[in-house]
Amino acid sequence: MRNRPLVQAGLVAVVATALGIALGLGIRWFPEQASTQAHRVDTLYDVLIVASVPMFVLVVTVVLFSVWKFRMRPGEETKDGPPIHGNTRLEVLWTAFPAVLLISLCSYAYVVLTDVERKPAGREMYINVTSQQFAWSFEYPAAATGGQPMQSTELYLPKDQPVQFKIQSKDVIHAFFVPAFRVQIDAVPGQTTTVRATPSRIGDYPLICAELCGLGHSTMRSTVHVVTPAAFTRWLKSRQAPGLSPSAGPGALAAAGKTVFTGGAGCGGCHTLADAGTSASVGPDLGKTLGADAKRRGKPLDAFIRESITAPNAFLAPGYPSGVMPQNFGSTLSKAQVDGLVAYLTKVTAK
Amino acid sequence: MVAKVRAPGFYRAGLMAALGVAFAAGLVALVRSTSELHPVFKGAAVTQVALIAAPLFFLVGLGAFDYWFYWASGRPTRPEDHSGHGARSWRDYFRVNTDHKVIGIQYTVTSFFFLLVGGLMAMLMRAELAQPGSQFVDANTFNGLFSVHASLLIFLFIIPVFAGLANFVLPLMIGAPDMAFPRLNALSYWLLPIAGLMMLASFFAPGGSFASGWTAYAPLSDTAPLGQSFFTIAVQFAGASSIATALNFLVTIITMRAPGMSFFRMPLLVWANFATSLLVVIATPFIAASQFFVLLDRGLGFNFFNAGHGGDVLMYQHVFWFYSHPAVYIMMLPGFGIISEILAVKSRKPIFGYRMMAFSLLAIVVLGFTVWAHHMFTSGMQAWIRIPMMITTAIIAVPTGIKIFSWLATLWKGVLRLDTPMLFALGFLTMFTLGGISGVMLSMIPFDIHVSDTYFIVAHIHYVLFGGSLFTIFAGVYYWFPKMTGRMFDERLGRIHFWLTFIFFNLTFAPMHVIGIDGMPRRVADYTSNYADWNLIISLASFVLGLSTLVFLYNIVSSWRTGVRAPANPWRGLTLEWQVSSPPPIFNFDSLPTVVGGPYEYGVPGAVHGVFKGGAEVRPTPAGTVAQPSTQ
Amino acid sequence: MEAASIAVGHDDHGHDEHHGPPAANRSSRVEPQTLGMYLFIISEVMVFGAFFTAYFFIRVVQGDPWFPFAGNKLPVLVAGVNTAILVSSSLTMHWAQTSAKHDNRFGLRAGMLTTLLLGSTFLFVQINEYANIGFSPHDHAEGTIFYGLTGLHGAHVFIGLTLLLMTTVRAFRGHFTPEEHRGVEVPGIYWHFVDVMWLVVYTSVYIL
Ligand code: HEA
Ligand code: HEA
Ligand code: HEC
Ligand code: CUA
Ligand SMILES: [Cu+2]
Repeated sequence: MRNRPLVQAGLVAVVATALGIALGLGIRWFPEQASTQAHRVDTLYDVLIVASVPMFVLVVTVVLFSVWKFRMRPGEETKDGPPIHGNTRLEVLWTAFPAVLLISLCSYAYVVLTDVERKPAGREMYINVTSQQFAWSFEYPAAATGGQPMQSTELYLPKDQPVQFKIQSKDVIHAFFVPAFRVQIDAVPGQTTTVRATPSRIGDYPLICAELCGLGHSTMRSTVHVVTPAAFTRWLKSRQAPGLSPSAGPGALAAAGKTVFTGGAGCGGCHTLADAGTSASVGPDLGKTLGADAKRRGKPLDAFIRESITAPNAFLAPGYPSGVMPQNFGSTLSKAQVDGLVAYLTKVTAK
Repeated sequence: MVAKVRAPGFYRAGLMAALGVAFAAGLVALVRSTSELHPVFKGAAVTQVALIAAPLFFLVGLGAFDYWFYWASGRPTRPEDHSGHGARSWRDYFRVNTDHKVIGIQYTVTSFFFLLVGGLMAMLMRAELAQPGSQFVDANTFNGLFSVHASLLIFLFIIPVFAGLANFVLPLMIGAPDMAFPRLNALSYWLLPIAGLMMLASFFAPGGSFASGWTAYAPLSDTAPLGQSFFTIAVQFAGASSIATALNFLVTIITMRAPGMSFFRMPLLVWANFATSLLVVIATPFIAASQFFVLLDRGLGFNFFNAGHGGDVLMYQHVFWFYSHPAVYIMMLPGFGIISEILAVKSRKPIFGYRMMAFSLLAIVVLGFTVWAHHMFTSGMQAWIRIPMMITTAIIAVPTGIKIFSWLATLWKGVLRLDTPMLFALGFLTMFTLGGISGVMLSMIPFDIHVSDTYFIVAHIHYVLFGGSLFTIFAGVYYWFPKMTGRMFDERLGRIHFWLTFIFFNLTFAPMHVIGIDGMPRRVADYTSNYADWNLIISLASFVLGLSTLVFLYNIVSSWRTGVRAPANPWRGLTLEWQVSSPPPIFNFDSLPTVVGGPYEYGVPGAVHGVFKGGAEVRPTPAGTVAQPSTQ
Repeated sequence: MEAASIAVGHDDHGHDEHHGPPAANRSSRVEPQTLGMYLFIISEVMVFGAFFTAYFFIRVVQGDPWFPFAGNKLPVLVAGVNTAILVSSSLTMHWAQTSAKHDNRFGLRAGMLTTLLLGSTFLFVQINEYANIGFSPHDHAEGTIFYGLTGLHGAHVFIGLTLLLMTTVRAFRGHFTPEEHRGVEVPGIYWHFVDVMWLVVYTSVYIL
């Protein structure tokens, strides 16, 4: 019977395909879904798997099968294959089929795209995101805070509240990438890019800069805190509340400073500090350098620290580049937070 | 001594290079003093001018231009004597040599040198990435490493090595005695080492090597330290080189085919290089321009990408990708050609659907120009552009699919000789399909938005460039090794090399799909601990992958020196290059062949591709007359 | 650099049969050198294409104001005269080429000389324009584009002139015959291209 090989190959292919698809759908590829659009993207991916595994399996089976069946046996050194030059029917088929398949995939992808990016029903919250080498800062406009517009180095979002981020860059191109939301868009100097998301799951998710932006690119990370609406308003309050009164003992101040250092301000993203348990190497190890550099600078320790935070380029830690440490903590951090940091760092260095 | 310095060669070249630097310094000093800039000697400025001037002076010294100078000044040109042709000792490979066979080998060896260097950098990267935190290199060095890694492997390995192989075999295949412009050919070779060494030299620049990726996005590249200029200028030389070579191929193919060699009797390797050269001639000027822009911004304070002064940042990406997407096909089509040659010969069957194979190449060329913005889905460009780009991008899979399926049909019912070149060819078929399919996934915008600039891209890159291009290159080098060197390679080592490469290639790059979709960004020296396990596996695998290259090196070097002498036609191929001795006679053909049939008529009784004046027909040499590579 | 090599490239297998490789088969009617030059011009056009892309993005996509604005203006008239000069140089070049075909040595030499002269005048006027235009590429993106496009073209005029100079030298040394005058033809093609390109640059930068 002429087509025996074809039939056998076909059987092998079918089995392999089934296994392949099972595997492809089985693996947990994506990070958890924390936005309403996430599952649409993940489903698209599953569809792509289902469409492409057969293609790959087809190619591999034909190759392996030919190797097995048509391998040159001893004694065939001078044997040639049958002079088949082509077969129009086949060629039309394998031109048309992928074309149809791809067009339908594109149409489906287009549908997904439009409703991932569609403006959701209900009031949308706007947040202005500013990126710079190598830190993120966020501005909650009056509409969002219900009071004064507010600068922050932390990103808090109320669950189920549609957000639109308006993203800008102060220097080079960065990218606003929240894997858990399946959203990514570049921050382009000279223009404002926007991206939508509706957080659907309480938790903390990484915000990553996904566009190479220089030395500190890999450290340019932050956290998206998705919280209950109640918690969100509480957070807003705490931000606007006047800083801890100086009467509060230095202990309290320092404690507050430590949370700022490890938390929102992202100092730990660049600095090693044993006491705070951070271990990054973009900036100097604050536990080690501060005392000596304060002397070099000829300033009292706390004054020096305050300067270093609010005007990093006033004095450069020996061997470190200028302009890497964000220049604007003076404005993005509240007075209370800076006081806290100064108190904390002074305390750590002192002992 | 004086004679040595006056004659073309490295002495004169060195002297001229020094002159070039002096000239640069002088020029800068002149300009800056006339426009009252201080200091008059600005290191950075001098370096940038020197980077442009010194290489040109060097080439003059080397003698790349001598002939044209004589010609231009109207002096009687020294007749082209044999000194310019052929290679008698290894020294002849270090001269400006106009023999396409010598140039082909110069090209190939040089670019493999850059593979080793670039690969070694990958090893350093993997060592650093083996675990979170920073162990071996700081952030700046790491960014430098992957930037130089990619730039070397793309501009100084994949692109030139294909040009090199084609340089050697293409004129032979079409029955031409040499390329159309042998001196231009020599010049395009000598531009390469210059570009490559310049990129490497950037590591010694103050502020470190260029570190903004091989894509060198503005404005980062505008403001980067001096090292960036080394990339910007090196790319100009590499680009000039490949444009010149492409012109040469096109003219050679159009005007120098043997009598009877109609376009549809050309081997598919020739077709592939024809298509590629079209891409190069049309697209490469765009990357040249994109780097001109950056250079002008950096050097002369222009405002192409200075948003503050009305510049347009995204324009860089449009211009860059309008070259660099076609470039990925520049890095793949010649490979397609190589595979077509090998599959036909090794499975003893005609290429299935020869014409469609040729047309699909042209289709890819045309489509290739309509998809560039699929690299910009997340760039913030006008949203609507993404849709047409998604469709065209996906559609490219159709002509590519035609090729894949036709190759499969060529295997079907053949008599497969599973020796090293064939193994790499089959490896290519499967691995490139995988890489291509991940490409099609990337063309689906919503998915790309999630994985753009993650390790999923890195995985795609390596499946198409390593599993695709590099596999075809290994296949081609093994396949034509006997023709180029006149000796056979060690089949056993060849197979070991293949299996090591194939297995550890997959162990290295397959997991990158997983961590990529899981959200690990690319171009980072440090990553969060949840990716640690995979990265360790990847790094370990990559080291073995690296070492496997040593097997290849050993095989090539030892076989070249002491391998068994190769017969003229060890694979019993029909195409013309196999009908001349190995290595071919100095002028390829003592008498030009006449082509009377298709190049792949295997299995057709009494089929003939070409006949020589002597009447010696070009049909498969009878059995037993040649070394048969064993198949076990 | 390829320009020089191709333009002056000559038949490698022509006058040195006894040394070089055997003559190749001619599978096409077009001259290799001419074909090479045309292909090279294609990539030259693409270089200009890239610079026009920049022009398009700055002026159209970004919508920045175009000349004349805020006291920056272009000497449209002077440049117009300059355009006329360059175009006429194309005519004289054509004269030289035809003379070469018909073995009219005087026409060849005179044609080459006048072309050289006109070309250099154009370049001189252009540089003069830069000196007096009153804004620099640093000032704004428009300046960048203006200097970028005209500068790029100026560079091509310079290359063209160098080629023509070579040809002129050889013309005066008595080279070129009605049979063998590619040395005039090929640089000629390039020169015509440079002129046509200027018309495009002039209209898009000065007039539109
Ligand atoms: C040799 C080089 C090469 C080749 C051939 C390709 C081929 C393709 N590439 Fe790839 N690509 C790169 C090299 C290459 N690429 C590089 C280096 C980058 C990263 C640049 C950077 O940012 O650094 C990149 C990035 C890249 C992106 C951008 C990702 C991002 O940055 O966000 C995209 C998006 O669409 C893409 C798509 C494709 C597609 C659709 C193909 C298609 O041509 C593939 C077609 C082939 C097949 C599909 C397989 C065979 C076909 C069949 C078996 C038929 C049936 C198949 C189906 C119906 C699915 N590539
Ligand atoms: C043809 C192109 C090509 C090739 C062959 C390779 C080969 C390899 N590449 Fe590369 N790669 C790219 C093209 C290529 N790459 C591109 C375009 C990018 C994008 C860059 C960017 O983002 O701008 C990239 C980026 C890239 C990254 C991502 C960097 C990042 O984004 O942070 C990584 C990380 O693992 C990587 C790894 C490797 C490895 C392990 C190999 C291995 O296959 C190398 C193995 C080969 C050798 C090692 C040869 C030398 C071996 C010896 C000399 C023997 C000695 C060996 C030892 C001592 C072990 N590559
Ligand atoms: C993007 C990286 C980055 C971030 C984020 C960052 N720094 Fe820095 N920091 C640096 C670098 C680099 C230096 C060294 C150069 C200099 O002195 O400005 C530095 C220097 C300092 C110094 C002076 C050290 C010395 O010995 O001179 C202090 C104090 C400091 N940082 C505190 C902070 C605090 C507090 C925060 C958080 C509010 C912070 N940094 C966030 C990168 C960073
Ligand atoms: Cu910001 Cu990377
Ligand atoms: Cu692409």
